[in-house]
Amino acid sequence: MKREKDFHLSDPTWCRGCGIYGIFAALKMAAAELDLDPEETVVVTGIGCHGRLNNYFLSYGFHALHGRTLPVASGIKLSNPRLSVLSISGDGDAYSIGVGHFVHALRKNFDITYLVVDNRLFALTQGQTSPTSPLGYVSVSAPFGTKELPLDGPRLALASGGTFIARGFSGQPKKLATLIEKGIKHKGFSFIEVLSPCVTHNKIISAQWFKEHISHLDEDQGYDPRDKKLAWEKMIKEEKIPVGLIYEEERAAYGELVLPERNHPLVDSDLSLDVKRFERILEEYK
Amino acid sequence: MKKKGTQITDISVIIAGIAGDGVLFTGNILAKILKRQGWWVSTYRDFPSNIRGEPTNYTIRASLDRVQSRADDIDVFMAFDCGAIIDHADKMAGGGILLCDGVGLSRYTPVQKKKRTYHTFPLRKLARENFKSEIYKNMIALGALAHILDLDFRVIEKLIAEAFLKKKGKEVVERNIRAIRLGCQQAEKIVEPEELYPLVERKDAGRLLLSGNDAIALGVLAGGCRFFAAYPICPATEIWQWLARYFPDYNGLVVQTEDELAALNMALGAAYAGARAMTSTSGPGGSLMMEAFGLAGMTEIPVVVAHVQRVGPSTGMPTKTEQSDLNQWVYGSHGDFPRIVLSPGTIEECFDFTIKAFNLAEKYQCPVVLLTEQDFGQNLFTVKGLDLNKVEIDRGKLLSQEELARMKDYRRYEFTADGISPRALPGMKNGLHMVESNEHDVRGYRDEDPENRGRMMRKRMEKLRSAARDSIPPKVWGEREAKTGIIGFGSTFGPIREALAQLKEEGIRAKYLQMRTLWPFPVKKVEGFISSCDAVYIVENNYSGQLSRLIQSQLRIPARIKMKNILNYSSLAFRPREISTEIQRTL
Repeated sequence: MKREKDFHLSDPTWCRGCGIYGIFAALKMAAAELDLDPEETVVVTGIGCHGRLNNYFLSYGFHALHGRTLPVASGIKLSNPRLSVLSISGDGDAYSIGVGHFVHALRKNFDITYLVVDNRLFALTQGQTSPTSPLGYVSVSAPFGTKELPLDGPRLALASGGTFIARGFSGQPKKLATLIEKGIKHKGFSFIEVLSPCVTHNKIISAQWFKEHISHLDEDQGYDPRDKKLAWEKMIKEEKIPVGLIYEEERAAYGELVLPERNHPLVDSDLSLDVKRFERILEEYK
Repeated sequence: MKKKGTQITDISVIIAGIAGDGVLFTGNILAKILKRQGWWVSTYRDFPSNIRGEPTNYTIRASLDRVQSRADDIDVFMAFDCGAIIDHADKMAGGGILLCDGVGLSRYTPVQKKKRTYHTFPLRKLARENFKSEIYKNMIALGALAHILDLDFRVIEKLIAEAFLKKKGKEVVERNIRAIRLGCQQAEKIVEPEELYPLVERKDAGRLLLSGNDAIALGVLAGGCRFFAAYPICPATEIWQWLARYFPDYNGLVVQTEDELAALNMALGAAYAGARAMTSTSGPGGSLMMEAFGLAGMTEIPVVVAHVQRVGPSTGMPTKTEQSDLNQWVYGSHGDFPRIVLSPGTIEECFDFTIKAFNLAEKYQCPVVLLTEQDFGQNLFTVKGLDLNKVEIDRGKLLSQEELARMKDYRRYEFTADGISPRALPGMKNGLHMVESNEHDVRGYRDEDPENRGRMMRKRMEKLRSAARDSIPPKVWGEREAKTGIIGFGSTFGPIREALAQLKEEGIRAKYLQMRTLWPFPVKKVEGFISSCDAVYIVENNYSGQLSRLIQSQLRIPARIKMKNILNYSSLAFRPREISTEIQRTL
């Protein structure tokens, strides 16, 4: 049985009090609980403060281009389905520059887990407005206030055919770890948005602010994450931000549908040329 | 130009109409008939980037010697409408014959103009009256051509059966053959014997009729690639469609991505995991891939991009040919990183270089680009065969689990004499490492130390030194002692070879350097060739002379040597005369 420290590569140097510490802790808890093997796990990160995670979390790691974690992660998983593949993005990575990949990963239902660290601004580049910054939000890139509506990741995910949609809060790592664990176990694309305050650039949306503005779905007796209609209503009507497992359904993952031999990963293919067999293909061109 | 009464050794037939007329199908069948009758075929499709409503034409050239170019003239012209005549009649050879479905014309009387014979041939009317459907106009046209070219009906019937029997059944086969026979009989009534171009029949010897895209796709499969991710784009999509059909039998996977950004990134993910992986694209797709192209260079992941060039910039002309993306792949993306750019000149080379591309990518752990052109990718050419016994898979310094297990302290980006580090794959024991798009240290972790930066940059770039020795050298054709040289890359191979022969007939001795690797640039070979000449012509399908500029950036050319560009950016491939006439004019 693995322990959290088995995944601890080094001590992080993120800003003191950053929400991402909670995510790092939750990820280690989930990995230990699931008894993941670091040598059979790949974590693909994007550009942003979260991108340092590979330096602290022990596994195979791929720090990809800004916004491009999902194509890389899905390419890895499709070639070698034995690997556990996690992709981590920030709100800029996922909802701005990479939003095209996000929508298509949802509808294709790649069997990977996607954590989106949502701190509602671009932290690494010094606090510019991001797609989740609230309307009117004043930042270095919008000194007169943001004029654009914020994007809601889980709503977009539900509309795009997501099969596992959850939202966690970095201030509650144990609950978050449970969501991540469920997400990794889910066969298909598991999307978990994590509300995570940026202590350096965002003095308004703080940990306290999140605490006051979230509501827990697991405390709502009547809520059923398998009911799509309820999920829609909750996300549209709720005044507070719903946190927990929002929606889950069973649908075959892309790899299950397209891989010719699921028990024989592409990476194990015999690459040598069977000349006789190949010559039969050439007949068609004669 | 053919003299009547002498044996025909080279003929060019054009079928022209409006997109949606079935020009492509008719042309493909004719090309295959001619191939099976033992002729070397070279086709040229000139079609718009829409499905219906604009002019399209298909030229089938057949020769008793190997050709890989469109001809200078057209001998036989089958026009589905009068508009087609206006577009192409000026390219007809003296003595040529034209059959036209003159919509609105009803007379059968032939018209003689500049020694060409124009016949009205009511394809649609015949189709409607005999088959109650205009669709049969194509087979009636094919029948008329069969009469003019004296084609072998056994070959035709067999091909029609191959095309329709499985998919549409016996009745459709019979009706099509009846339409061909009708076309043949009708043509016999109106065409005079001296207007015919009877072709001798030779042995086919099991030759293949392949497009450049077919040959690349075959090379992808033979080269051990098993992961292909791409976004639909003309004129590269045929590679994908071919693979989509054959990959499943070989445990391979084709993924249609949301865009070209995803396509190359996904191929990189697959390659990092250990699959031989690639993407294919053209024009704007290549521009979108520039970002991930640099990632492949930085992270040293082996990946192959097949880029079939079309007319640019911007959306340009998606179904027409150009060679204006050399700069993009030789210089493209931000920052400095190693890449290898190959340029096949024949169909066989499309196949061989594709396999080589995967080997080079894995040996030098860098992106490899196969740069071809639309006129090559989408046209058909006869080839003798593909050399399957030569196929070798070389995975370079990829570690086995046993080798990795024995290593004490595995470092993915270890400094080595040749710059190439042993490669472990995720999932392997004892191989944990990081792949970092930022500058990184030997273990792959981010490192901004200036000294490390310098060493890492040199490590990556120096891989090209050994890659240069291992890459495909340029090839010299023609008379080695000649003082007039031609340099070209890619699909200009066919027209340049033919221009050499034309020059020889005119008493001009010339030679041709076929560039087969554009990067790393083969400095010595090109320098040697140029310095052995008094005049060098660089032949390219682009406006700015991209190859010419590349050459001049890589070596100093002595002032005594006259350098001249022959450029064609008309969106059409060179005809051999365009090259030979220009050389004659300016030499």
